[in-house]
Amino acid sequence: MSTAERPSGGGLRDEGRGAVLARTRRRARNERLFRWLTGLPVVLAMTLLAALLYDVITDSYSWQVVEPQGSAASFGFLDGFAWFDTWERVVTLELRAGGASDAEIEEILTDPETRRIFAARHRVELMFSVDGRPWRWLVSSSRDDRVLDVPLFEGFRREAELLAGLESGQVLVLNPWLDLSFFAKNASRTPTMAGLAAALVGSLLVIGLVLVIAVPIAIGTAIFLEEYAPETRLARIVEVNLNNLAGVPSIVYGILGLSVFVRGLQLGAVVLAAALTLSLLVVPVIVVAAREALKAVPDTLRQAAYGLGATRWQVVSGTVLPNAVSGITTGVILAVARALGETAPLLLVGAAVFVPRLPDGPLSYYTVLPIQIYGWVGENDVEFTHVASAAIVVLLGVLAILYAAAFLVRRRFRRNW
Amino acid sequence: MGAVLLACAALTILTTLTVVVVLASQTIAFFADPAVTLWEFVSARRWTPLFADQHFGIAPLLAGTFMVTVIALLVGVPMGLASAVYLSEFAGPRTRRIATGVLEVLAGIPTVVLGYFALLFVTPFLQRFIPGLNLFNALSAGLVMGFMILPTVSSISTDAMQAVPKSLREAAYGLGSTKLELVLKVVLPASLSGIAAAVILALSRAVGETMIVSLAAGQRPLLTLDPRETIATMTSFIVQAATGDQPAGSLASRALYAVAATLFFITLLLNLLSQAVVRRFRERYE
Repeated sequence: MSTAERPSGGGLRDEGRGAVLARTRRRARNERLFRWLTGLPVVLAMTLLAALLYDVITDSYSWQVVEPQGSAASFGFLDGFAWFDTWERVVTLELRAGGASDAEIEEILTDPETRRIFAARHRVELMFSVDGRPWRWLVSSSRDDRVLDVPLFEGFRREAELLAGLESGQVLVLNPWLDLSFFAKNASRTPTMAGLAAALVGSLLVIGLVLVIAVPIAIGTAIFLEEYAPETRLARIVEVNLNNLAGVPSIVYGILGLSVFVRGLQLGAVVLAAALTLSLLVVPVIVVAAREALKAVPDTLRQAAYGLGATRWQVVSGTVLPNAVSGITTGVILAVARALGETAPLLLVGAAVFVPRLPDGPLSYYTVLPIQIYGWVGENDVEFTHVASAAIVVLLGVLAILYAAAFLVRRRFRRNW
Repeated sequence: MGAVLLACAALTILTTLTVVVVLASQTIAFFADPAVTLWEFVSARRWTPLFADQHFGIAPLLAGTFMVTVIALLVGVPMGLASAVYLSEFAGPRTRRIATGVLEVLAGIPTVVLGYFALLFVTPFLQRFIPGLNLFNALSAGLVMGFMILPTVSSISTDAMQAVPKSLREAAYGLGSTKLELVLKVVLPASLSGIAAAVILALSRAVGETMIVSLAAGQRPLLTLDPRETIATMTSFIVQAATGDQPAGSLASRALYAVAATLFFITLLLNLLSQAVVRRFRERYE
């Protein structure tokens, strides 16, 4: 704007009330727009979470047209249900419907080896719907021919058409892949026979060992940094180092575990090697939380304890730690959640995708939940997708419980000094 | 007791040293092999250590990592910053609690689950609109990874914005500025170092992320910048090489360490840079 055009005198009067009002209104409008825009990502994140949950949950159900090898009979909920031996009851009904004699049924139910083989090849399932009738028990076999697999909502739309298209010997079922037998079943090449048992036991063993190994080391480090050597050169080095460790990609820890624990110490691909690797990974996480908790304990408590003649360790163990325990617990729970979902490092230290027997100790081969999920997704088979979804629902459920626990501990035991 | 505690702390330093020693020794062994040269590693355009015809040019893996990371940043950084502005400036206490909760839940989803989602939900969804989109592609992996880094960017930036002192805000209001002007002209410039640190940290996490790319982006080292293509990143190659049956000590298994060393070096640099940015450029308000 050149000098000649510039209005003389005070801008307000010359600009006129109307122009000022219009500008103020524009600025206010921009602010509202901006406010709306900045809130958008949170809404998008919520949408993504909703889509993820929707996808995983709906994928863990499917409609299937099956040609059963067994009797092709299904049994009403009350016919099959029994308080403690539903499995035996439904199997008996199924075998009887298939024309087996009482002696044969007796053998399958009582002889341990025959029973084990039968249980590995069959699955007692409560279907949401069989041929249009709700809540039916069905014994599926690993040799059943699965003719068609239809997603949940498409199945609802096409139910009449699917029913009309059934040939003799075929049944249409609405299969909830996440059912009780899913937790009891072991690894299998057949999607319908695959289950989570090995992964659950494996995850439990690994996480248990991680707690035993990582928690003492992490709390020790935190106490050292906060109570024994604050502001020293050594403490600063440890601190910088921890910051960097927290930024190291998890897969690098996997390589470390592979070289040092699996090959170096010749542990092999066993539970202990996985636990050691994950421990290295979660130590920085717990240290950060534990330091925060220790910092929150007011100095007056420490001074009072010293004043009573306590030694440094007595101050820490008798006064500081008991008052920091809730913060530390929260940190440990969050670290467990992290370790539970961690996949990449365990792929490197050799968690197997297919574990036919339950792991029974720190030195046995193993698989864990996320590795099992990775394996099932990689099968590239629509039925295994349902199995993977069911496993993800379980994993997310466990994580939700852990996060809720951390939240409750934090709220229940928070203290304001 | 002090000695025991010192030993715990020393163990964390030992971890770092072991990482460095393992990566360095195996990488040196890799380059000592007559079949590879450092020059080939940085300049060749093919990466085929698992094939009979072995080539060791890391460029395709870097290109893959770069592409996925850029997409993730394009998604995650603007959204993370916007949500940080919302959380620190606009949201009331109740909405803030809910929004923070949503972001924390997002941060808590295991990456293998995000990989599943990218492969089986996002890709089929995008294939309706984008012709030529491969089943395994960089685009879906990058998009989902953007949501993965969103909570990181958001939480660190929120902290930085909330550290801007009240006096600055009140001065801006006193001059008649709206919230928008306050954010753009006062809060953002004043918290720039924290924001930069957040972005660098998010970048480092995206570079090191493994499961999303392994599941959704594929395992084909291809020197391309087309996001519809199946690619391989440094991390997905490491997974591929480690889950295959390369005998320990073979050239192919050492290639894994060379890639891991590169990855470690890049993320370490980024982490140090992020810490340096905070130290060097932090505005001090007394």
